[in-house]
This record gives sequence, C-alpha cells and structure tokens, in this order.
Amino acid sequence: MNEIINSLRRTPYQTFAALSVLFFTLLLSGLLFISLTFLQGLLNYVETRPRVIVYFQIKADEKQINAVKELVKNSNKTSEIKYVSKEEAYEIYKEFTQNDPLLLEMTSPEILPASLEIDAIKPEYLPELADMLKNQPGVDEVQYQKDIIDNLLSLTSKVRKITAVFFGYLMFMSIIVLTTTLSFKIALKREEIGILKLLGASNMYIRKPFIGESVFLGIIATALANIVLIGALISMNTFLHEYFAGVPNLMSSFVGIPLQVWPFNLTFAIATLSVTAIFSLFITLVSSYVATNRYL
Amino acid sequence: MISFQNVSVRYPLGNSALDGVSFDVEDGEFVYLVGPSGAGKTTILRLLLNDIQPSEGSITVNDFEISKAKFKQATQLRRQIGIVFQDFKILPESNVFENIALSMLVKGYQKARIAKEVEEALRLTDIANKKYLFPAQLSAGELQRVAIARAVVGDRTIILADEPTGNLDPKTTWEVMKIFKKLGKKKTVLFATHNVDIVNSMKRRVIILKNGKLIKDKKKGGYEL
Repeated sequence: MNEIINSLRRTPYQTFAALSVLFFTLLLSGLLFISLTFLQGLLNYVETRPRVIVYFQIKADEKQINAVKELVKNSNKTSEIKYVSKEEAYEIYKEFTQNDPLLLEMTSPEILPASLEIDAIKPEYLPELADMLKNQPGVDEVQYQKDIIDNLLSLTSKVRKITAVFFGYLMFMSIIVLTTTLSFKIALKREEIGILKLLGASNMYIRKPFIGESVFLGIIATALANIVLIGALISMNTFLHEYFAGVPNLMSSFVGIPLQVWPFNLTFAIATLSVTAIFSLFITLVSSYVATNRYL
Repeated sequence: MISFQNVSVRYPLGNSALDGVSFDVEDGEFVYLVGPSGAGKTTILRLLLNDIQPSEGSITVNDFEISKAKFKQATQLRRQIGIVFQDFKILPESNVFENIALSMLVKGYQKARIAKEVEEALRLTDIANKKYLFPAQLSAGELQRVAIARAVVGDRTIILADEPTGNLDPKTTWEVMKIFKKLGKKKTVLFATHNVDIVNSMKRRVIILKNGKLIKDKKKGGYEL
C-alpha cells in the first residue's frame, strides 16, 4: 500500500488526470444506472395500475357525465371510478401552480374539464374501455396507460441510447488516459522490469504493482462518485417525495433480482455502488493490462 | 549440466555473433569465458538466459532444451540462474536487503526463509552492515557485492557473470574475485571477462572465443592476449 501511495505521489499530475476521468466516468455510470432503474420502476408501476382517464368537454353537463359513469360501471370491467369535478380539477391545478401565481390568475374552474378516473380490473380491458368511451356524448379525450407506457418506453429507450454513447466515449477516454499514465510510469521503470524478467519474475508479478496502483485509483474514484451520487439523492429526497406523492414504491430489477428504487434504501445504494465498482474494475484492469503488455 | 551443441547465432544482415560453438559444463564447475569484445561471451550468457534464441544448434540446461522453451519454461529456467552484470543492475529505489530479497520474492519464497538466506548472502559478500543502505550510498565494489548476493540466494544453481569486475578498481576486483572463488565450490559459474590477470590467478577451466568461434577449451588453463 505504501509503495502504491508513494508511486502516486511521485506523479501528482498524471494521478490527478487519471482520477478525474475515472471519477466522471463512474459518476456518469452511477447516474445512468439510477435514471434507468427509476424509469424502469415507473414503467412497472404504471403497468400494474390499469387506468383510463376520460376528460369531458367544457360544456358537458352532469347528466352526460353520469350516463358515461353508468355505462362504464355496467361493463363489469372496472374496479373503481372516481369523478373529478371542474372545482376539484382547479384545486389540483392550484397545487401544481402554487409557485407561479400568474398562471393561476389566468385560469378558473370553468375552463378546466371534469374527468373520470377509471381503474380497470385487468390491463387488457383498457383498449376496449377506451374505444367504448371515445364515442360517448360530452367526451373530449380519453387517455389510458398505453400512451403513458409508450411515452415512458420511448423515453427509456432514448435515455439508454444517449447515455450509452456518452458513457462509451467516457469509458474509452478513461481507458486511454489511465493506459497513458501507466505507460509513462512503466517506461520509467523499464530497466527495473528488465531486471525482474532476468530474475525469472512471472508476467503477473511484474504487472501486480501497476494493477494495484490503477485499482487503488479506481477504488478512490468509485468512493468519490458514490459519495456525490448519494449526496445528490439525499438532497433531492424532499422534492422526489412531493413528486411521487401517492406512489408507495417503485420496483425495478437488477441482474434478475427485484430492487426497490423508491423510496431510497440501503439495497439500492449497494446496487449503485456495485455497478460503479464493476465499471471501475473493468476500466482499471483493462488499462493496466494494455499498458503493461507493451513491456512484457 | 550445461550443454552447447553446434550453436550459432546469426543476425538478419548476415553477420554472426556465434558460429558453431560446442561445449559442456558440469555441475559445480567454474568456467571462464574469455576473448576480446565481440567474441561472443555475452551472447553465450544471453542464450542461457533465453534472452535471445540460437539460429542453429541446441542448448540444454539440466536436460532441458532452452531453444524450444516457451515463455513459462523460460521463466522457470531463469529462476535457476543468478546473474551479475558489469553495470550491477541494482534497483535504485530499493535498499540492499530489498534488492537481494527480490531474487527470492519473484520465486514466491516465504518471508522467514528470505530473511535467513539474505542474511547469509550478506555475510558471504561482506556487506552485512550495509543492508539498509540504498544504492546511491554504496561504492561500485559494494554494489557488485549486492549483485553477487542477489545472484546466489534462492536456490539458483548457475551463476552467470558478465564482466563483473569491469567497473571496479584492482583492489575491489580481487575482493570480488574472492567471493567468486567461494561460490565456485557450490555453484556452476560462467564468468565472462577479458581480464588476463583474473583468469590467470585462478587455475580454472577457460573457454577462449574469437569472432564468435570457440578457439580453445583449456581444462585448467590460463589466458594470453
């Protein structure tokens, strides 16, 4: 350990460069993991709650609304129907716009639509219910999870693609920077490596200190990235609690194991740490192998 | 036992470093390899270390054919050989003890055994009082003693010395030779030199090389320029 620390102290600029690149790569890999598991959790949550929302026209009267309610009730495909009046819609809107009074000023209960939130017994009933509701008098728009799921799926796919490109680039750069740093150090120790080889040292024996050094940097970068990630999640906790009000939990999966993403918990923190640690190990091992291979 | 049979080393441009050299060295034998610069002395030592490969012929060490050695086998072979160079090749950032211990560490010996053998080697080479000093604090003679100590520890049965006294003053040269004399009784030593006085002072076997060819192989000989 002392040898590793001494070696790192002898080349502070290279150490700083390698550590910075590793840190940002691992931070991004952690963010990618958190966002994707969150989106997956949301998707799973929405999929397990089959719901259709019917928005009525502004001029729709109570008679029309009740008729629709009755029609749906008699289909025997619903578990719960909740009526949201114009006034209740305005209250909800008020809550959403409490930080923006100007928006609220421009709105009144009269211009907001009344709606019905209809929970279906099974997700398969959703298209059927939506079709049935679309053509009823007074109905303006019918929304059901398919739209939300499609949007979420599209978002997840975009996030995956964009972050994979950025992450791939950062990972490549990390390997290059770490390999260059190690190569520089190895070049300084070329004579020492030559002596070791003549004494009969195995390739692994020669590689060990360099692997140790890069893995040590990886451990520090992983720790720093996780401290920042956990700090960010803790600081966002209040906001997320408000945002996910009414959502008891979000479940995703990690290597086939069910993982509770929300509310934050120790298991999720350990999963994030594991992911960043695996990436860190991959980067440092590949870099040290490539760097040492040139001299063996 | 070391055996060279009709060994040649040719470079791509056609010039040869060794040309049809054959000789055997028994276990525990002390052999001088002598000849002017470019005679092929260092080439023989490099071949034994598997640092270069022969173009022709066969080299065996303890019945093991070096020229056919794969990487792992070459490593195993090097673990039987101790090396002493003219320029010492001592690690500057390690102290005397660590430099000598390195020879055993690469072979995976236990710490207790390393400590014991290194202490013995320090006594043999008369540098026991310098074991915690760093190379920058040592004289050339002391550095060469460290190199000899490193070559003898860890069950290394063959010692290859490539002009080990080349950088030493006459007094230190004789002190170093005294150590080699002691070694000659326990290990197989191949000692490359062009120092006539050293060769003639110890009546040992002398292999004389010139332009890559073996000119003479004297069992208890001397050497003249």
